Amino acid sequence: MAGVNAQSRGDGQEQRARDMGMTTEALSGRTQQVFFEPSEEERFTYPWAPEVDYNKRTEIDADGLTTTEVNKRLRDLMAEGYGTVVIQNPRGKHGLGVGILSRLNLIFEGSLGYFGVGLIDGPNVRITGRVGWSCAENMMAGTVVIEKNAGSTFGAAIRGGDLVCRGSVGSRTGIDMKGGTIIVGGDTGALSGFMMQRGRMVVCGNAGKNLGDSMYDGTIYVGGEIRSLGVDAVEAELTDLDKAWLTRKLRQYGLLPEQGVDHFTKVVAGKQLWNYDNLEPNEKKLIL
Amino acid sequence: MADGDIPRTKKPLNRDPNRLGNSSIFPPHVIDDIHIKSELGRYRMRGFSLFKKIPHWDDLTFLPGTLTRFVIEGYREKCETKTVIGPRAKRPIELDIPVYVTGMSFGALSYEAKTALARGATMAGTATCSGEGGMIPDERRYSTKWFYQCIQSRYGFNPHHLVLADACEFFIGQGCKVGLGGHLMGQKVTDQVAEMRSLPAGIDQRSPARHPDWLGPDDLALKIQEIREATDWQIPIQLKLGAARVYDDVRMAVKCDPDSIYIDGMEGGTGAGPHLATEDTGVPGMAAIRQARRAIDDLGKRGEISLVYAGGIRNGADVAKAIALGADAIALGHSVMMALNCNKDIPEADYESEMGVEPGYCYHCHTGRCPVGVATQDPKLRARLNPDEAAERVYNFLHTLTIEAQLFARACGKTNIHSLEPEDLAALTMEASAMAAVPLAGTNMTVGVDDYHHL
Repeated sequence: MAGVNAQSRGDGQEQRARDMGMTTEALSGRTQQVFFEPSEEERFTYPWAPEVDYNKRTEIDADGLTTTEVNKRLRDLMAEGYGTVVIQNPRGKHGLGVGILSRLNLIFEGSLGYFGVGLIDGPNVRITGRVGWSCAENMMAGTVVIEKNAGSTFGAAIRGGDLVCRGSVGSRTGIDMKGGTIIVGGDTGALSGFMMQRGRMVVCGNAGKNLGDSMYDGTIYVGGEIRSLGVDAVEAELTDLDKAWLTRKLRQYGLLPEQGVDHFTKVVAGKQLWNYDNLEPNEKKLIL
Repeated sequence: MADGDIPRTKKPLNRDPNRLGNSSIFPPHVIDDIHIKSELGRYRMRGFSLFKKIPHWDDLTFLPGTLTRFVIEGYREKCETKTVIGPRAKRPIELDIPVYVTGMSFGALSYEAKTALARGATMAGTATCSGEGGMIPDERRYSTKWFYQCIQSRYGFNPHHLVLADACEFFIGQGCKVGLGGHLMGQKVTDQVAEMRSLPAGIDQRSPARHPDWLGPDDLALKIQEIREATDWQIPIQLKLGAARVYDDVRMAVKCDPDSIYIDGMEGGTGAGPHLATEDTGVPGMAAIRQARRAIDDLGKRGEISLVYAGGIRNGADVAKAIALGADAIALGHSVMMALNCNKDIPEADYESEMGVEPGYCYHCHTGRCPVGVATQDPKLRARLNPDEAAERVYNFLHTLTIEAQLFARACGKTNIHSLEPEDLAALTMEASAMAAVPLAGTNMTVGVDDYHHL
C-alpha cells in the first residue's frame, strides 16, 4: 500500500495501532482521527508517514508496468524520501495511486482509469488528462485537480479535502459525500449529490436531473441551470458568507467566473426525510 | 321449573357452536397490523429475524456411521476444526473453529456488546467483523482476527482503519432484507454514533442499498482491485451476498475474483428493518449453500474461494449441517447476541413494563431500549451488560457450538469437520429434500433430482 512503510506491516502493525491511540484513546465519535494543533507547524503529517521532501523530484514511466508495479514503485520512492513524483503514460490504468496516506506531490501526465487516487489522505495530486469512474473515492484529505473531464461517481463518499475537475463530470457526482469540497468547472450529470451527508459541492456549469436527491445535509452550489431537483432538495438563499467562500475557493483553483458568484443557486436538504412522520408507541425517543 | 331433571355437573362447551370458524388468512394479528398501519401510514419496523415457518435446519437429519461407516470415538479422538478463509491470500484468515462473529454495527449494538463479542471471539480463537458504522478502536484491539466491512453507505469508512484489517468484507446484501440498505432508528443515532457516520444526530437512518462507486460486477472487480492495492495484496477480500438468485449471483461474484464469498440466508437477523422485508425476501439457507457451492465448484474454484454461510444457525447441529451442505465457515449474528443476554430474564430488566412483551418474545432491537443493554446506546441500559461476563458467555457458546458440531462429524466418521458432506444428510420433508438436494429419509428419492450422484 502506498503511504505505509515496511515497518507498518506484520509486527509493525501493532506498533502502528498503538501510535494511533488504540490502547489509550477513550471512545469518542472522532475515532482515531489525528488532529493537528496549530502550534505544530512542522508536523502536518502522521507520525508513521515517510519523511518526504517536496524538492526531491523524480519520474515513473508507467508504460508497460502494471498498476501494482506502479503503486509499489511509488511507495518505494516515498520511502526513499521523494516528495514530488511525476507519473508518465498512466494510459488509463485502473486504481493508480490509491491508498496514499501521507503528504506527497503527485502529478499524472495523462489519464487515469477507474478508482484513480482512491482512499487517499493527504497528497496533492494533479492529473493532466481525464479520469474514469469513482476518482478520489473516500478521500480523507489533500487536493486532487483534474485538468480535463471526469467520469461518473466522481468523489464518491469523500470525507475531506478538495476535489477539483476543470472539465465536466458524469452522473452521481459526490454520491454519499461525507465532507470536503467537490468543485466542477463544467457540467455535472444526473443524481449529483445523491444521499449527500456533509460538505460542499460547487458546479460552475449546469446540473442534470434529480440534483441532491435524498440529501441528508451539506450544500450544493450551481452556477448554471438545474434540470430538476431531487426528492427533499430545496433551494436556499445565497448569503454573503456563501459568496465570500465561493469567491475564495473558486479563485484558489482559477475557476472564478467573470461575472462573479452572484448567479449561483444554493441547494440544501429540505430535511423532510430525516425522520418518519409517525412513530409507534414503543418507538418513542427516550434518549438523545 | 323442573330443576332436578338436568344434571348441574355438565361442563359447558369451550367453543361457541354457532360460530362458523376462524380465518387463516386474516388471523387477529394480521387484522391488528392493518389497524396499526392505517394509523401509522408507513411500513412497520422491528428487529429479530423472520417469524414465519420456512424449511430450515430442523428439517434435515444426519445419517451417522453404523456398520456401513466407521465412527470416530465421540469425545476423545481428534476431530480437526481449523478453518481457513481466503486460502489464496498472502495473509489468509485462520480460525481455530469453523464459526465466527459476523458484522453488527456499533450503533445497532452497544459498546459493551461489541467489545464483549470481540473478546469472546478472541478467546475462542476466531474472528469478528466491524459492521456498518466504522471501527471502534477497542473492538480492533480485542480482536485477533478482524474483518473490516466496506458497506454501501461507507459510514465511517477510513483507509487508516482498512490497513489495520485482517480481511475486508464487501457488504452487498443481507439475507434478512435482501436488496435493502441498513436501518438505524433515531433512538440509536446518538451524537457519538452520528459523528462516526457523519450524519445529523437523531435521524431515522436508512442507508443506501447500492454502493456509491460501483454498480455491477465489472466495476466491482475493479473496486476489489483498488482495495487490494490499498492493502498491499495481503488480506482476503470477502463478498457478502444476500441469498436471492444464488447460483447466478455467486457465479458473478466468483468472476470478480474475491477470496471468499459469504451467503446470508433468509433466516438471518437484523437490528432494524421493515417487518415485511424480513418475512418476504430471500432464500432459505439450505438452498442457498447448495447453490453457492455448486456455482463455485462449476467454475473450478473449490479450495481457492471460500464459502461462508450465515443465517439461522442456533446450535452445533445447524453448524454441522451447513458445513455438510458445502459451507467452509459459519458466521453468527443472532445466536451470539443471545449468548450476550438477548431475551434473557435478568433481574435488572422488567420486560413487561419496559418492552410490553415477555422475555423470549422481544424483537424490539430497533427501539434502542434493549432491556439487557445489548442493542441500545442508552447509558443506563448499557450498564445492565457486564462485558467481562458477557465475553465469557460468548466464548462458552462458540466453544459449545464447536464441540457439538464435532460430535456430528465424529459420528459420521470424520476426523476433520470440513469432511462432512451432503451424503451424510437426509431430509425429513419433501421441501427440505428439494432445496438441500439430499434424499428424503428412508428413500432413494431426492425431490427434483433424477440421479442423486449426478446433480
